[in-house]
Amino acid sequence: MADLRLILVTPEKTLFDRPVASIRVPMFDGSAGIYPARAPLVGRLGIGELVLNGTDGGSESYLVEGGFVQVKGEQVSVLTNGAMPASEISRASAVAELEQARAEKATSEEELNSLAGKLDRARKLVSMATVD
Amino acid sequence: MANARSLVKRLKSVRNIRKITRTMELIATGRFKKAMDRATEAAAYTKKISEIVGDLGQADLKFSHPLLEERPETKNSVLLVLTSNRGLCGGYNGAVLRNTLRHVQQLKEDGIEFSLEVSGKRGIKFLNFQQIELDRTYIHFEDRPTFAEVDQLGLRFVDDYIAGRIDRLDVSYTRFDSISRQEAVVESILPLSSLAGDSDTKGEGGNVDYEFQPSPQEILEELVPAAFRAKLFKCFLDAAVSEQIARMVAMKGATENADEMAGTLKQQYNRARQASITSELAEIIGGAAALE
Repeated sequence: MADLRLILVTPEKTLFDRPVASIRVPMFDGSAGIYPARAPLVGRLGIGELVLNGTDGGSESYLVEGGFVQVKGEQVSVLTNGAMPASEISRASAVAELEQARAEKATSEEELNSLAGKLDRARKLVSMATVD
Repeated sequence: MANARSLVKRLKSVRNIRKITRTMELIATGRFKKAMDRATEAAAYTKKISEIVGDLGQADLKFSHPLLEERPETKNSVLLVLTSNRGLCGGYNGAVLRNTLRHVQQLKEDGIEFSLEVSGKRGIKFLNFQQIELDRTYIHFEDRPTFAEVDQLGLRFVDDYIAGRIDRLDVSYTRFDSISRQEAVVESILPLSSLAGDSDTKGEGGNVDYEFQPSPQEILEELVPAAFRAKLFKCFLDAAVSEQIARMVAMKGATENADEMAGTLKQQYNRARQASITSELAEIIGGAAALE
């Protein structure tokens, strides 16, 4: 079976560089799964959950905030502005962020867009939160 | 001959200063290593970006993006100056500020409106003293600038540039070439002259037939700002690394000077002590001789 290697890079550091069994990435328009021997791809990411299944059967998930994915042979590179392991997301702070985003009011097109982004992010955070 | 007591006092203070400079050197060395690690890790991101740019290049795409376009005439520009919050780092801030002054002069001669944004207490103090008006000041960038902090600036510059509020962005900072070479420069980073080193995108792996989602054009639209923000972040990281190196070198020099000074003082003190002993002996012998 062909191998798959995930490299997760943020501007600050390389978070992850290991062989994995399969990956699910949040594309701009929904989730996409990547298995070994996928055709080469360059794509844009949205905000959402990146799930990777390790070669030993375990799985991990990260919250990624936009960026790009590049699949080239066995190597999958994910470039993102920020990534947070799901195990570090606390429910309380996620809920607080959602409340705050909900309380904000947008008056212009620009604000509306940025608010929609904030709401989206906060909802994803809440749904992914694992720690209380 | 100087008196022994005052020499002892000076010797003590020189030794104390040596202790301080030596400690600062060690701290700067530690911080430099950390900053250096961060800079190397950040390089991975820039490398990947230019790889994707190279991939896009195969898609027969015209690289056009508002951030890449040069404006026919520059009316408004922003000058971002990166200095340190603390002193005692040799010529680090001096070099950056000298360049900044020259650049400000040039902008004034060319009749370009500019707003000045300064990071670091040293720069703020100096430019205030020169009575140059500062539009924004930052003092929260220490030796570990985070991407989120830098990105706030980056996003604002991107918005301003696209909206046409600024036509150029210059950064005056210390570029890190190698451990033994850093240079204070003024660089124009907007409009982006080239996409994160797209000149050296090698055709490694031959022609991979990529599938683009959603489309090469739309990916480019996201990629260009990302490349710019990574570049801005690199400026901050470079400045942080260079600051630590400058401090390390300055403090090493200061420690060596203190060593030398302590040596000279010790010698002077020994001479003074010997002289006073000799004169006391001479007095005693002289007194004894007078009694005989």
